[in-house]
Amino acid sequence: MAGAQAGSTRPMGSGLLKQIALFGGGLLVALLLDFTLDKAISDSSIRQLLMMAACNILVALSLNVINGMAGQFSIGHAGFLGLGGYSAAVVSANLHEALGGGEATFGKSFIVVPVSLLVAALLSGIAGLFVGLPSLRLKGDYLAIVTLGFSEIFRLVIATAQIGDKETIAHAWSSAGSPRGFVHAISVMITSLGGQNGYAGPKDAGVPLYAGPFWVVGLAFVLGVVAWRLKFSGWGRALRALREDEIAAAAVGVDPTRYKVTSFVISAVGAGIAGGLMAMNRDGTPIVQPDSYNFQASFDAITMVILGGSGSVTGAAIGGVFVTFTVKAIELLQSTSAVQALKQRFESLDLNALRMIIYAAVLIALMIVRPEGLLGERELFQKKAPSPAKAK
Amino acid sequence: MRTAHPTRPRRTSADGKPLLSLEDVQVSYGGIKALRGVSLEVRSGEIVAMIGANGAGKTTTLKTVMRLLPLSHGTITYAGEMVSGLGPEELVSRGVSLVPEGRAIFPNLTVRENLEVGAYLHKDAKTMRETIEDVTALFPRLGERMKQEGGTLSGGEQQMLAIGRAMMARPELLLLDEPSLGIAPKLVQQIFAAIRRIAEAGVTILLVEQNTRLALQVSHRAYVLRTGEIALSGSSAELAANQEVQAAYLGG
Repeated sequence: MAGAQAGSTRPMGSGLLKQIALFGGGLLVALLLDFTLDKAISDSSIRQLLMMAACNILVALSLNVINGMAGQFSIGHAGFLGLGGYSAAVVSANLHEALGGGEATFGKSFIVVPVSLLVAALLSGIAGLFVGLPSLRLKGDYLAIVTLGFSEIFRLVIATAQIGDKETIAHAWSSAGSPRGFVHAISVMITSLGGQNGYAGPKDAGVPLYAGPFWVVGLAFVLGVVAWRLKFSGWGRALRALREDEIAAAAVGVDPTRYKVTSFVISAVGAGIAGGLMAMNRDGTPIVQPDSYNFQASFDAITMVILGGSGSVTGAAIGGVFVTFTVKAIELLQSTSAVQALKQRFESLDLNALRMIIYAAVLIALMIVRPEGLLGERELFQKKAPSPAKAK
Repeated sequence: MRTAHPTRPRRTSADGKPLLSLEDVQVSYGGIKALRGVSLEVRSGEIVAMIGANGAGKTTTLKTVMRLLPLSHGTITYAGEMVSGLGPEELVSRGVSLVPEGRAIFPNLTVRENLEVGAYLHKDAKTMRETIEDVTALFPRLGERMKQEGGTLSGGEQQMLAIGRAMMARPELLLLDEPSLGIAPKLVQQIFAAIRRIAEAGVTILLVEQNTRLALQVSHRAYVLRTGEIALSGSSAELAANQEVQAAYLGG
């Protein structure tokens, strides 16, 4: 009986003070980074790498809700990221104009970033609801195809828009009385997103890059804690139970329908925020392009989750960082003189393809050695289960 | 010392009306009829057993009561209310819990988490803690293994966990599907002792069991299912003495 009452599954302890300290500390670090990172690290590509890593942690955390905790298999995460990215880019660019343009200052970011991310999260969440609905009837591969379909449709609708039409959205809508006019107005809207060339604000002046380290690192931290709490909450427990045995979960009162759909919505909201942050990232590029949200992006996200251990919050974070750094390492390798010399001789040499080989090799090795991923479902910083010997 | 009883049922009065009744329930899998019109009753406070050969429809009956399978015909009444049209979660909130066949615990969740999921409808911390205490009083083994993952338990322990998980919902009717299946004889004794204690605490039990002798020992009444129909029913003592039952299920 010993140990039956003691302890709880919440690994971090739930003292209110401890939590306030945790959040305050995390946000303070993020705030400090915002002002010091530029000076501390002069190489902008390294700053970009660190910010990308933080964004990718969010990508992995959000996908982990569906692929890890709910045990569904989504291969269309890029669609949600893209929806978030485009929404945030459009909202922030227009809001920036409305605020008078100029520098993207830290002060103004407190208006622009929350509003943009809210819109991004909302739209992604709605998309998550619609993609989640088929999950009630479809499982495994079939559901995966639905998610892939969603993300490819999203990307291709934007990428294949015929640009050159200079009509303004407002004008198109004003004459949108008939069904034909309505369709026309929609197509003008999509066209205004810049097609294959990407979206760079209403006047092509670039998407204002408001999200400095404070926002990126701060949100990665806050949402990381949220993801952790979610996993060990009653909701997360029920969701994981559903993954393990649907009949048994239903038999104890867990409604599969509600849980599956909400898990999709929550995951999509997270992806919307991650995509939005990437689009507005201060050290990123001031343009969002459909090709950033292709299948490769979804696959990267899956790699992060599987690598770290499906269902593990800290594992997802590790996976996010690993994938980011792999990409960077290959870029560095590309720029070495030896590779450059080879490139002179073989023009088609592109080491970016190497990335897929590395991922594939790592994943295969992992499936052999540790099929459950680096951490499995466990967490770093979690109280260990007592060994069976000790339990007796 | 707190009571070792696992539950505090909300309705215990035996007013003669059945707690659960099935009337002409028919269920099909695809084109195959699994239940061809099963009618049975369980009264408050009873232990009722369902026995019969493999494929007779025992598990199907329990799953249908829990609303995990659609009915093609017939009605199910629980505590005076028609429940045929409800979902499983509504049955749980009305006081019915199922211990599924083959245990069906959540292997990657810890023992504590398994139990907590069971208390899905009684989430407040105090009730949860008390119910966990009750369950660990019933199955001290589980108390020793709270932080282990469910999948690391032995078969018998997993069965204890499955019953404990069902008890976390504080049911007044417990549906037990093959609690002795594939479990070491010594642990079977422990599990059936616990089932008796659960019944003594006022929980009504509908038990499906392939071990006919054991089932007739522990139950008050029993139904014999044969190819989707009730072939025989009566008090367990009568059935145990019945020659047909002896020949078919008790080995002579």
